[in-house]
Amino acid sequence: MLSNKLFSVIVILLLGFTSFAQDKSNCNFSLSGKTIDNHDKSILMFANVYIKELEKGAVSDTNGNYVIHNLCAGKYEVTVSHVGCEPVTINIAITGDTKQNFYTEHHAEELKQFAFVEQAYVEEQTVDRKELSIKELNQSRGKSLGESLKELTGVTSLNTGNSISKPVIHGLHSDRILILNNGIRQEGQQWGNEHAPEIDPYIANKLSVIKGAEGIRYGANAIAGVVLVEPNELRDSSGINGELNLAGATNGRLGVSSAMLEGNIGKLNGLSWRVQGTLKRSGNVSTPNYFMKNTGLKEYNFSWATGYLKAKYGIETFYSQFNSDIGIFSAAHIGNLTDLQRAIESDVPLESADFTYDINRPYQHIEHELFKVKSYLATGEIGKLELIYARQYNLRQEYDKHVSRNDSIAALNLPELQFEITTHTGSLIWSQNRKNAFKAQLGVSGIYQANTYTGREFIPAFIKYGSGAFIIEKWRNKNAKLELEAGLRYDYVYQQVYKWLKKVYITPEYIYHNVSGSLGAVYKPTETLTAKINYGMAWRPPNVSELYSNGLHHGAAAVEYGDTNLIAEKAHNIILGVDYVKGKWLIQAEGYYNYINNFIYLKPVLPATLTIRGAFPTFKYEQVNASFAGVDLKSTYSIYKSLSWKGKASFLRAYNLTAKEGIVGMPANRFENAIEYKLESIKRFKDIYAEVGFQNVLTQNNVPANSDYLAPPKGYGLLNFKTGFSLPTYKQQKIIVDFEISNLLNTAYRDYLNRFRYYADEMGRNYSLKLKMTF
Amino acid sequence: MKTKTNYTIILAALFISFLIGCKKDDDSPSPVSPTTPPVNEEELITSLIISFEDTAGVQPSVQYAFRDPDGEGGSLPTQHDTIRLVVNTYYNATVQLLNESVSPAEDITLEVEEEASEHLFCYAVSNTNVSIIRTDSDGTYGLGIKSRWFTGNVANGETTISLKHQPGVKDGTCSPGDTDVEVTFVTKIQ
Repeated sequence: MLSNKLFSVIVILLLGFTSFAQDKSNCNFSLSGKTIDNHDKSILMFANVYIKELEKGAVSDTNGNYVIHNLCAGKYEVTVSHVGCEPVTINIAITGDTKQNFYTEHHAEELKQFAFVEQAYVEEQTVDRKELSIKELNQSRGKSLGESLKELTGVTSLNTGNSISKPVIHGLHSDRILILNNGIRQEGQQWGNEHAPEIDPYIANKLSVIKGAEGIRYGANAIAGVVLVEPNELRDSSGINGELNLAGATNGRLGVSSAMLEGNIGKLNGLSWRVQGTLKRSGNVSTPNYFMKNTGLKEYNFSWATGYLKAKYGIETFYSQFNSDIGIFSAAHIGNLTDLQRAIESDVPLESADFTYDINRPYQHIEHELFKVKSYLATGEIGKLELIYARQYNLRQEYDKHVSRNDSIAALNLPELQFEITTHTGSLIWSQNRKNAFKAQLGVSGIYQANTYTGREFIPAFIKYGSGAFIIEKWRNKNAKLELEAGLRYDYVYQQVYKWLKKVYITPEYIYHNVSGSLGAVYKPTETLTAKINYGMAWRPPNVSELYSNGLHHGAAAVEYGDTNLIAEKAHNIILGVDYVKGKWLIQAEGYYNYINNFIYLKPVLPATLTIRGAFPTFKYEQVNASFAGVDLKSTYSIYKSLSWKGKASFLRAYNLTAKEGIVGMPANRFENAIEYKLESIKRFKDIYAEVGFQNVLTQNNVPANSDYLAPPKGYGLLNFKTGFSLPTYKQQKIIVDFEISNLLNTAYRDYLNRFRYYADEMGRNYSLKLKMTF
Repeated sequence: MKTKTNYTIILAALFISFLIGCKKDDDSPSPVSPTTPPVNEEELITSLIISFEDTAGVQPSVQYAFRDPDGEGGSLPTQHDTIRLVVNTYYNATVQLLNESVSPAEDITLEVEEEASEHLFCYAVSNTNVSIIRTDSDGTYGLGIKSRWFTGNVANGETTISLKHQPGVKDGTCSPGDTDVEVTFVTKIQ
């Protein structure tokens, strides 16, 4: 029996290698996961996982882990078999590195339980889910969340120097993007342009952007989409394992170390746990020609989770803390319009620097704390009930460059601006297992939020209550060629502001309520073609900063005025997507048209505000009707054997329909081309790759004339190089090494979406090395 | 028996969670006080006043001002004078910075004087026949609270008076540092 098995393993391995020799396009994906006994959730050792079409497969090891390398994109019939089990066959679509756990039923007579079939089916969504592959995720280690997400087509970032980066999806950002940190919507001070998401990307094992009905579950204001930051599930079998990540980069002399340890205590009835922490430090970064003063960064984060997870019920807790100090480029902290003009006219920053790790004024100190409890209960065979509660605390301190002229006040070294936001969220969700062709999800959620400030008043104190209810229904026909999904959500938001207006105390109240929804279809006429269409409706109330900003925003050296008459923003969005996978080609195309009624944005107003400190550029929040139309393309083509080409392109045209002109601050059109060479193995080294890529960003010409202090910078092209391999150590464990040279030609350039484009060039050449060790 | 252990574990896990979690202050944030307006902790500069005295004692002394009582942003400045000086005259000028949003008004000039080595007043003229030199110093470099203005022939132009904050970088020129004050006065020599 055993020798039989050994024999089949050898045959499978041989077949695997043969199929590698025949190499097709995009054949670098892997299918991995665990084989688990569905009956008692114990691991299944030595189960056979076999792909019928490719005649290749793998056998799970003593921990129940299996992995099949070098899979081409496509749809496969996968069979799992084990002694004493009836073999089970399911269909899996491979479009990237895929994780799939198999819950095999050891008792043949119980096999027909429909829960199993449901587990195995890969859900399609009516909008392409954009996700970083495991390889891309490894390559992005050490970068911030915003920078990591830029790998996805249609996603760019709004930067303040090199250390503050917030995601922009199809030209929209801040309150229009929901960020789900481990299932909880991130609530901090996300309204500001220089406020990056307070999340440690090392927590995530999966980074993705979703739209469509799935997004309805999380809230109404996902006008641009939902960013999911998801950790792995807690360990479900007895034992301990861990991961160590190290990253270093020459520019800024960045050093990052992050470690994770997780386990499952069988003796305690399967109590699982995980602890994780990250330390990050970097100093002044340099452009091709000079150092940028005070651009260091310090970050220390940790998290832990415990779970007691059974098939029918379970509870898990998660806690994380994010702390960072971010230096703000000194030369960008200007006094007034005259200083800004001087900075613009100067080729090099007015304040020069050498390398140092020290962070001085101006800087930001940011803390974010998240605590979450999630429990679930199976409601018979038909579904599952989930109850989730979370508390978040966010502290933001901004230290100006100027210290008080009064020495005793200056000695206290207090931040000039401090916000504290505490948020409680709760939700109760019932998900139905697929019954015949239908599957549903419904739930209610609530939020309570309070904001206070100390120091300078920029936005006032407020409290906010909100509640919502949603329903999502999915349907697919028998052969799964057509799938439909629809979602509907209703939200109610109450907000009260506490403010001293001159010498009068006011407490205005705001109430908003509206529906949001989504309707979509997926049609797969053939195995090679998938067409998707989705219509979505979303809205968001104006946030307090848009209503009440009043005065000088020191960080931006601009006078900003809110408008208390602003009303809710409403968006209608149509997305059309086509996926084509055949032979040497893989093409993903997505077109979208987003119409936003009462789009709120910060508009420059003339003349500049005259103050005793000189003139200040002035901005006012304004509402217009706007449209955002664009196309995202992604394609790969296998040129010859191990050599392949990858291409990406993103086009966006944002238009102010009210004033009939372009809109400021939108990402420019961009292209990316890369040639990759891959090898399965050389001696002990596996998954070897080398990639040369060229990124082109065009000049943003679609802006109204004289809408900025300086016309958008010229387009640029950057050459990048990446290489890496993995080194198996023991059993399934390995070391993954990635090396990258970004901006290889040390090109001096400025990016339109970086607030510091007025003052300094972007970062110059940077060598970075990343190691990931699993044990 | 088994269920009992399960509950113990869950309770223990929850207890530990709360113990380790939420170590940060969780006061449900109390909104700003409804009884007292918030104190502006920053030293606001609302007014710049420049006084001129004829060194020969012939022309009358004059005073010109820029006043923006609610500080930057908010309402527009309430006073923005034109500087009018007599031709071919030597004037001694003195600058005064005030915070008139508080009562009594606070004299910010005194603080500038105390930290003379970090501050510099700069005078820039355009299209007007005036030459200006600083007549005081911080010991090493000029300070510019006091200055001497010499007027030439009839002219209409502008004078920009600015205060640069130059901690650690003062070198006698107006380039380094940030601008604390910058007011441009229409200037008429008549």
